[in-house]
Amino acid sequence: MKVSKEVRDIAEEILRQGQVGGVLGLSSEHGHVGPHLFSSTDDLGTLVLEPRYMLAKVCRMILADFPGERLGVVARGCDERALIEMAKLGQVDLSRLDLIGVACSEAQARECACPHPYPRRIDVGEPVQGVAFADTECAQQASEQDLVARQAFWTHAFSRCIKCYGCRNVCPVCICAECSLEDASWVARGKISPEISFHLIRAFHVADKCVGCGACDAACPVDIPLTRLYAQMREKMKEMFGYEIGLDVTNKSPLTTTLEEAPLHGL
Amino acid sequence: MSERPFQPRIIAFCCNWCSYAGADLAGVSRLQMPSNFKVIRVMCSARVAPEWIIKALSSGVDGVMVLGCHIGDCHYISGNHRAAKRFAVLREMLGCVGINPDRLLVDWVSASEGPQFQKIVTNFVERVAVLGPGKAAGEQRAKGTSELNGLTQQAEKRE
Ligand code: SF4
Ligand code: SF4
Ligand code: FES
Repeated sequence: MKVSKEVRDIAEEILRQGQVGGVLGLSSEHGHVGPHLFSSTDDLGTLVLEPRYMLAKVCRMILADFPGERLGVVARGCDERALIEMAKLGQVDLSRLDLIGVACSEAQARECACPHPYPRRIDVGEPVQGVAFADTECAQQASEQDLVARQAFWTHAFSRCIKCYGCRNVCPVCICAECSLEDASWVARGKISPEISFHLIRAFHVADKCVGCGACDAACPVDIPLTRLYAQMREKMKEMFGYEIGLDVTNKSPLTTTLEEAPLHGL
Repeated sequence: MSERPFQPRIIAFCCNWCSYAGADLAGVSRLQMPSNFKVIRVMCSARVAPEWIIKALSSGVDGVMVLGCHIGDCHYISGNHRAAKRFAVLREMLGCVGINPDRLLVDWVSASEGPQFQKIVTNFVERVAVLGPGKAAGEQRAKGTSELNGLTQQAEKRE
């Protein structure tokens, strides 16, 4: 594919120049695609862009494993937003990264209902308009349902949960060493489906951090539409505080600042 | 009892420096208040973790109050700023999943505001009584229980 060829060329160039110790991307081997650290230009033939896979968490691991090295990362809009949120949480050092920015196609943007389907600097691809929250199925559903219908919808959805922790494990902004979801004080052990507190705690924890990458939805084996809830919260953060997640590393979450720094309407 | 069969179970998180003292004052002034709430004293409204509120609501508590110092008076300067914002967001989230956000109240009571404490608590208890039993945990509770002690067992019992 033309796009992956362009990405390969850039990767080859920065590897050859010694600008980075390796390039993190996806590699297709024996019919399987997975994250791969390309450390030599010889491997780059297997570099692919599809299927979409969140690389930010892998990136954190590699940065920690190779202190002092710079790293190239093939990054879509959501990868970059995730890296920015992780940087706010002290998980990655953006100054050690060289992003190869990839803009998503219109079809991809629609599929993800992505509000921002391109990174800040685009090296490959043409930027397309993001999908506004108001135009998503999620917004429509939320506006149609009253409290009773919402409770019925989510109770039913959450009742399918098998507590595999997949959603948490893939999430780039779920980074705590000690997770509240594993603390028996908040979520009783040994019960499936878990108490609703499992989902509400996770939703609250990502409310001011979720970049909408959709990795949790994709990971969930029982198809709980988790991002429908998180997208609503992301929209609330925008309405309440004018806060946009993942766009600016210097812009702290309003939930961690004072009312002078980020006012709350009505106070 | 027969007049108002549903007695909500309510938790009030009160910060040590203002609202707990306000609650104390309401008590020693013998102000009349409903008795179906339990006070949990915390050092600051910002100490109240969202986990606590979520766990309470999902275990069958009908309403939660977070009471702190007035804005500007927090003993830790801006703890209540964080609390105000976090719980405003938490209220929105409860609404998104179909739990009435009015089951969570954030308000401010100073150490000298006994009557204010009385008013807030009375109004909140009435409001939650109108909302009826919290069904967050999907459990049907026996009516009229006023003790919070069996909380964990109750949660365990639900299907
Ligand atoms: S909560 Fe889901 S959509 Fe949001 S950042 Fe985490 S994995 Fe991505
Ligand atoms: S991925 Fe789905 S099933 Fe697994 S814990 Fe998350 S919500 Fe539950
Ligand atoms: S000490 Fe009372 S709200 Fe912070």
